[in-house]
Amino acid sequence: MSSTLFQVLGVVLLLVLGYLFGRVAEKRHYARIIRREVEMQHLPVVASRYPPIDREYSQRLVAGSVVIASDYFKTFLANLINIFGGRVTPFESMLDRARRESILRMKYDAIQLNAAYVFNVKFDTTRIATGKVAAMEVVAYGTALIPVETSASVVKGAMRAQ
Amino acid sequence: MEYHNKLPPEGINITRVHPLKQFLQFAIGALVLVVVLVVILQISGSFLAKRIPFSFETALVSEMENPFGDGDTHPEMTGYLNTLAQRLSAYMSLPEGMTVTVHYDSSDVFNAFATVGGNLFFYKGLLEVIPDENTLAMVMAHEIAHVLHRDPIAAMGGSVASSIALLALTGNSGTAGSLLSNAGVLTSVQFTRKMEVEADREALQALYASYGHVHGAAELFMLFSKSRAEAAQTDAGWLERFLSTHPLDQDRINNTEQIASDEGWPLAGKATPLPQDLRRWLDAE
Repeated sequence: MSSTLFQVLGVVLLLVLGYLFGRVAEKRHYARIIRREVEMQHLPVVASRYPPIDREYSQRLVAGSVVIASDYFKTFLANLINIFGGRVTPFESMLDRARRESILRMKYDAIQLNAAYVFNVKFDTTRIATGKVAAMEVVAYGTALIPVETSASVVKGAMRAQ
Repeated sequence: MEYHNKLPPEGINITRVHPLKQFLQFAIGALVLVVVLVVILQISGSFLAKRIPFSFETALVSEMENPFGDGDTHPEMTGYLNTLAQRLSAYMSLPEGMTVTVHYDSSDVFNAFATVGGNLFFYKGLLEVIPDENTLAMVMAHEIAHVLHRDPIAAMGGSVASSIALLALTGNSGTAGSLLSNAGVLTSVQFTRKMEVEADREALQALYASYGHVHGAAELFMLFSKSRAEAAQTDAGWLERFLSTHPLDQDRINNTEQIASDEGWPLAGKATPLPQDLRRWLDAE
């Protein structure tokens, strides 16, 4: 019977640790996400497939991807929810963070290229975990539109930058 | 055309619920579900298992490869135990076709138990500290009562039914699932305590019928109490009570005295000594 007791204590310990560390990690991540979203707000990301035709742009594929793992507490709670059904709330914030982080990484990529817009933005998500703990990858990708300068020297410079 | 993004709104993709509150709700819900399920399946499983003919139990056991106990090396001990069992079962109105077979095991374990097919096991560790035949008869009658009540097969049927259901319910939900299965085990342990109380009552009746008094019953429980105190001084009381299959010793003593006084059976009486050779049989390798 004592082995069962140890098993229960072990699970409780993992739950407490998972909850505390998961909570702190999530809080910090959200703070980072919100700060960078303000910083990079000047670059519009657009879902439309049709780019503006006001001037000439060169096009580049930009992508950002992130892998986020669940913690023990989230996984345990999700397992419990699995029995009864309903919204798997512990994974909602995880996916939300992953989507926003991947957009930010894609935007960072585009800003390095001096892009004016990112068009045709799409998401892909994959479950990549093996074993008991869930983890997911979210990749955001789109077409960066980089304004082409009319002066030949600037075009060369832009091409070198690429 | 103007393109610009507003900042993403906070919280529209997340259900605002405190994870700990949700955890408590679901954990309690799951526990209640498991307990209810286990209780229902235990009861219906034992109910059905009791309807399996005793001959099927015997056939099941005879298919096992290993013979029980140390009967080959301790024929005198096994013979004595079986004679006592026959004498007691004569007072316990076993149905036709139901027989008990006692096996002696020379390991130093303080225990005796009954299992399917009417097989009883007596360990050297228990026999060593038994003071007289009445006390031994109390253990023996208690175990025979389990066989008479079909408790071994009922417990088996109940736990098989509930563990299959728990496996089906929690099979793919990881650690939460394996914990829930353990909660199920605890509930099934609680369930068989009823059987123990019934077996005590039946054993008392046989003890009275055989000796004319019930000396030995309270003595047995005091022995158990003493051995348990020596073995596990660190166990917390409430935990032991919950995890234990048998009712606590003091409860059993009280229960015994209650039954004896209700039925008018004398608690004290002349103790019948154990056979003189018992010591020698115990020491035999």
